[in-house]
Amino acid sequence: MTAIVSRPARSLHGWHTTPGPFKAGAVILGVHLLFAIVGVFWTPYGYAEMGAGLPLSGTSWQHPMGLDQIGRDVFSRFMYGAHIVLLLSFAGTVLGMVTGAAIGLISGYVGGWLDDILQRVVEAMISIPFLALALVMIIAAGPALAGQPALIIVVVAIVYAPRITRIARAAAMEVATREYVAAAELRGEGTLSVVFREILPNTANVLLVEFSLRLSYAPILIGALGFLGFGIRPPTPEWGLMISENRNLLIASPMTVFGPGLGLASLVIGFNLFTDGLSRMLGQRPVMGA
Amino acid sequence: MKPLIEVRNLGIAYGRPGSWTSVVQGVSFDFARGEAFGLVGESGCGKSTVAYRLLGYGTVNSLAQTGEVLFDGVDLLKLDARSLARLRGNRIALVPQNPTTSLSPGMRVGAQIREMITTHRALPAGMTMERRLAELFTLVGLPDVGHRYPHELSGGQQQRVTIAMAVSCNPDLLVLDEPTTGLDVTTQRQIIQLLQSLRSSIGMAMLYVTHDLALLSQIADRVGVMYAGQLVEIAPCDALLSAPVHPYSRGLIASIPTIDGASSGRGLRGMLRRDQIPSGCKFEPRCDFAKADCKGTPQTLEPVGKERAVACMRWKDIEPAAAELTRAARSPQPDTEVGAVLSVEDLALSYQSPSVLRTFLGKADSIVARDISFELKPGEVVALVGESGSGKSTIARAISGRLQPRSGGIHLDGNALAPVLRRRSVEQLRQIQYIFQNPDASLNPRRRIRSILERPLRHFGIKSDGETLETVLESVGLHAGYLNRFPEQLSGGERQRIAIARALLVNPKLLICDEILSALDVSVQSRIVELLQSLKKQHSVAMLFISHDLAVVQQLADKVAVLYRGELLQMADTATLLESPLHPYTQILLEAAPGLRKDQYVSRSPATPGETSTGGQGCPLAGRCHRQIGKICAESRPPVRSTETGFIRCHIPGSQLVRGNELAAA
Repeated sequence: MTAIVSRPARSLHGWHTTPGPFKAGAVILGVHLLFAIVGVFWTPYGYAEMGAGLPLSGTSWQHPMGLDQIGRDVFSRFMYGAHIVLLLSFAGTVLGMVTGAAIGLISGYVGGWLDDILQRVVEAMISIPFLALALVMIIAAGPALAGQPALIIVVVAIVYAPRITRIARAAAMEVATREYVAAAELRGEGTLSVVFREILPNTANVLLVEFSLRLSYAPILIGALGFLGFGIRPPTPEWGLMISENRNLLIASPMTVFGPGLGLASLVIGFNLFTDGLSRMLGQRPVMGA
Repeated sequence: MKPLIEVRNLGIAYGRPGSWTSVVQGVSFDFARGEAFGLVGESGCGKSTVAYRLLGYGTVNSLAQTGEVLFDGVDLLKLDARSLARLRGNRIALVPQNPTTSLSPGMRVGAQIREMITTHRALPAGMTMERRLAELFTLVGLPDVGHRYPHELSGGQQQRVTIAMAVSCNPDLLVLDEPTTGLDVTTQRQIIQLLQSLRSSIGMAMLYVTHDLALLSQIADRVGVMYAGQLVEIAPCDALLSAPVHPYSRGLIASIPTIDGASSGRGLRGMLRRDQIPSGCKFEPRCDFAKADCKGTPQTLEPVGKERAVACMRWKDIEPAAAELTRAARSPQPDTEVGAVLSVEDLALSYQSPSVLRTFLGKADSIVARDISFELKPGEVVALVGESGSGKSTIARAISGRLQPRSGGIHLDGNALAPVLRRRSVEQLRQIQYIFQNPDASLNPRRRIRSILERPLRHFGIKSDGETLETVLESVGLHAGYLNRFPEQLSGGERQRIAIARALLVNPKLLICDEILSALDVSVQSRIVELLQSLKKQHSVAMLFISHDLAVVQQLADKVAVLYRGELLQMADTATLLESPLHPYTQILLEAAPGLRKDQYVSRSPATPGETSTGGQGCPLAGRCHRQIGKICAESRPPVRSTETGFIRCHIPGSQLVRGNELAAA
């Protein structure tokens, strides 16, 4: 009798034994983090400083990503914008994770009509394309809130929560059949106690990989919102917004668009490699799909 | 005669390039055509690893470092994949441990056997595939089930299919990896019987890997005992069982519970710890006969007498094990005046909720257990015995409150227990503690032992100090050093001890032990039984002990209740039941339990096989019973007759049952 049990990985082994993707991803993310921290405190020019150079004068050593239409240094804006993407992605995913995991674990463990109702709601939300859902929510929030970082965070969370709910529910249903859960029930433990003491620790691997996977898609969602003009309010240099602002310069000064684009791309690739490696280390298979 | 298989100095390691860990060292044995060789040892001793090398197979993370495996003179370790593929299945076949996972679930079993024959072009000349399949099914004692899917067959039937598949190409060698471990006692015996007859009719050699020496004694000619990756003794089966030479073999044999209560010497102590293996004799840390120089001197197999070899330099100094008869010390009969801790009356159980629609459509509800009534007195151990699917665990679930009974009542200390868990009081929950079958699953792998043990204390508001946990750990034979470990750092036996400690900690009145030994090795089992015996004396806790193993039951239980297809057929004192098993089904069970001698077991054929009963109408045993008296068995419910120490449910009157018993004994 061999029960297939995901072994708890308590010690992350030494660096040399970790999978290659994990290392590559960690390095890319480390560079991003460093870049973002430096960008908050120091940039070659102010991120909103107009006239840093001649507008549209192309790339040079002074302006590695060129200048935009009103003469702002794109590289400075790019540097300053780095922490915005990271923070928004992280905060949004954490919020979505907490709500999604809590709902999913309880739904999966309790079952019955509660599970039926919650799952129909979740399915309804997943059936709406995520960008459309996000846009509807931003429009519904009204002009007063539009462009606020808090709104973006909530939108990311609401888009992610249903997807995380399903993963958490499936994991909880599997763990709920284990005998240590029955042992806790036989002690007369309450639902929340069983869910958070017995089930949550044993779904941690699944949830961690899911978190990392969601985190890797968050920059795309935030960038897309920024590009469409529903993201952070200008002149704050969010990368998606920068691509949108500078897209007319694509021919004249391509680095003004490619710079932020490459930033987004490398961030997403970094997250993805990291997730891939992490899931291999934890013995889980990430479920792809936005 | 030239041996069919010769294993010489085989050494196998697991790991990956650069960091190999040696798990099997210097294993050498051989056996001839038509011979049955058994490999036996505790789990983790490397017996399966060796057996799979006889198919030229090793997992990707293993490496045969030294030695050779000669099959008919060809070294299997040096063969390339193509020639191996030609050999496997064709001349060397495997019967796997778990037929449920080794048969493809989406393919009809006939097609799976056909595939094997087609691959090796092994259809005998002048025979159609259909006839060959029918022949194979007859050979393994199955009706023509070729068109069925694996899930439509029972576990025993599935194992027969894998055996049919293995012998379909008339192999020279059959490798059997614990083929009966997951099966019931009666099914086990039928499979062994089948293998014996196949061996005599086909004449193939067998390598039989198991941890169950009692089973091995029924089938093997010679046995190799493995310990920590080395062979410690090779001997003819009878000689090994009657007079084991190596201290480990002795301990292993002494650990086996038998129904007649015969036990030779002491069981094994301690457990195999791979991190504590000395450079010399690997068994030294657990050996009762070890001397100072054992630790440093490596032991090799040396011949002892005819056809025997043993890896112990002190074998001559050890006096031969004397068989002695030790019956489990019975606790004095519980006072009949004392009220019952637990009483169960007319319990009927079903996994479906009653539905008006079903009644309206005239469909019978599928009842899992019916008419279950018994009592437990304080300090009494009642064993619930039956084959898998007989409803043992279902009854335990209902008592513990995880399954709402269809009807009937459960009383604890005279007070009715609410059918649903949530409506029971905290005090009632404390008084009934449940120990699960599989200790791997009943302890939360993410919590330290301390937190696992402290949780029930805090939950039930029991005052405790630092010593409470230490005391309970000591009472189950562990120490405080375990508190900061995680369950995965413990062995199976240690985990089960923790589970027992967790149940005892809250001072319960009733312990429900649901097959708590079946996931453990024999030597570990025997020590858990000892532990339970001493706990029974100290704590005077009543136990409902669920098991399919009558041999274990006789060591522990005061009373035995025999369950078949959800009905209690007999209940009696353990001694009475074992000495005169009145009910035909109890007889079937007792005969199937393997002893340590070859006993020429033949399963009894039913008296009137056609007349089976439907649930709730006749006797559940009808159609399988060897003493069925006629239509009455299938058509009307057997009456309950009380006996001296319990009751029996059978149409045959008590006096005739006794007479039949004497006839069978003579």
